[in-house]
Amino acid sequence: MTAARALRERPPGQGQPWPWLLPAVAVLALFYAIPVLDVVRLAFSDATLIAPATGLSLDAMRAILGDPALRKVLATTAIFVAVNVVALQLAGLSIALLIVRGERRGLKGMAAFRTLVLAAWVVPGIANGLIWGLLFDEAPYGTLNSLLGYAGLGPVAWLSDPRMALVSAVIANLWQGTAFSMIVFYAARRGIPPVLYEVAELDAAGPWRTFRSITLPLMRRAIAVNSVLVSVQTLNTFDSILALTGGGPGRATEVLALFTFNTVFYNLDLAGGAVLALLLFAAGMTLTLLIGWIGRDRGAS
Amino acid sequence: MSAARWGDVASYALFALLAAFFLLPFAWLGSLAIRTPAEVYLGAARFVPEAPTLDNFGAVLSDRAFLTYLWNGLKLSACGGALALALAIPAAYACSRIPFRGQGAVLVGLLAVQMISPLVILVPLYRWMSTLDLLNLDLSVIAVYGAIGMPLAVWLLKVTFDAIPVELEEAAQIDGASRWMILGRIVLPLARSGLASAFVLTMVMNWSQFLVPFILLERDQDWPISVAIFNFAGSVSASTTQLLAAACLIAVLPAVLVFVALQRMIVTALISGAVKG
Repeated sequence: MTAARALRERPPGQGQPWPWLLPAVAVLALFYAIPVLDVVRLAFSDATLIAPATGLSLDAMRAILGDPALRKVLATTAIFVAVNVVALQLAGLSIALLIVRGERRGLKGMAAFRTLVLAAWVVPGIANGLIWGLLFDEAPYGTLNSLLGYAGLGPVAWLSDPRMALVSAVIANLWQGTAFSMIVFYAARRGIPPVLYEVAELDAAGPWRTFRSITLPLMRRAIAVNSVLVSVQTLNTFDSILALTGGGPGRATEVLALFTFNTVFYNLDLAGGAVLALLLFAAGMTLTLLIGWIGRDRGAS
Repeated sequence: MSAARWGDVASYALFALLAAFFLLPFAWLGSLAIRTPAEVYLGAARFVPEAPTLDNFGAVLSDRAFLTYLWNGLKLSACGGALALALAIPAAYACSRIPFRGQGAVLVGLLAVQMISPLVILVPLYRWMSTLDLLNLDLSVIAVYGAIGMPLAVWLLKVTFDAIPVELEEAAQIDGASRWMILGRIVLPLARSGLASAFVLTMVMNWSQFLVPFILLERDQDWPISVAIFNFAGSVSASTTQLLAAACLIAVLPAVLVFVALQRMIVTALISGAVKG
């Protein structure tokens, strides 16, 4: 009888969710919502890291937005993010499809290869920058330059030439970041019903035709969502660049996140840094809203 | 040879190329770490040194401070991972088992905050902690790690809980067990591998974290390894490259080994999360 009543009072799947959600919601408020509001407030103030705000002011915002360096930083950030988004996804997609094909054909070494790509993923960003710094070392005994020397090429000014430094930063990021896209695309590709490929085979469709007519259309949503995730991740990347080039030479590799970090923690310009942090936040959130929009698209079709 | 066989050959050729790219940094790091200073200057001419030496590891590890950095890194990332899990378990359980208005909003909110760079929230957090005298405390770093790791943990655990048949809980409910008892006695034991995956992933993320400890911990003896190697790199010259390589290898190896050992479990968890998400 009591058991029956217990069941009636609290049937499965019923109950108050809020006590359960309290810790998570409190953390969201304390560590995300309130800090973001505080960033907005600081952006309209004249606070520095050592002196509190004395009142509302637009001076900091005007100063930082008028800083000629910002234009350069934003251009670098746009290039860095755009190139990475394309390169990371092409690499991730190719590897995922190669692995799926290899698994289907029973090729050896697929698991080992996947492990290798994943191993690069868990290397700390700072270590990533330091390791690639050793590889890009421009001394005659540096890895890549001494290898190129054997082929009669180089030496390449990997880190001292402003354009090359950005390419080097992209290569280092590609090494570490490919694994994420690989996992997403591997999951999406495995989610496509095999029967579709059997039909394609019966129709004697070639590999390229099969890729264009089945794989690509059915992975479109995964590619769209992943583009956004990878853009935001790349936008927020800065520790590997800090360790690789420090943003140099000059400002050649100083992306928005690194510029924000330098403004707050080296120049101690809190108000200016808050404006930059707000830019970073707005860019990230705009991209995130894109995900929501893409996700809704699925419900409609 | 059939077209499929030719395809296999092409696949292997591509794999070889890609493997060379992904392997090179690890291989080179290993090669540098076992060289003498003289051999560092030989570059690629002698990939495996003539007289491999472990002296570099000895030199790095004999520094007491370095062991402290490793211990700090382990302590902070493990506690941070545990906190993220503790915060995530009730929320993930509610999202999986209790239908409520605003559930979608909570899940989307958790996804959205993951997009916020820790840099953005650290600007005000640093000031608050400085005012409240909370800088230089392990607990402050652990709290921030918990907050950063929680959203991912909720997503992974919700997917794990969803996969557990609800009938088991209904049976326990009829026997008069409370929800907390059901969670502790039935759901969590069944969710072992999901819990372990979430813990390891958040822990590896924390091990890589540079910004949070760099900003919140000012004293050198409190630093985790990620901050220490950055600082160490600033002090090396060409003649100590082999020491930097050894230090980097020591910093990278724990995370890579743990991840590789458990990757089957973790990748499965990530893939099911990716499919649902």
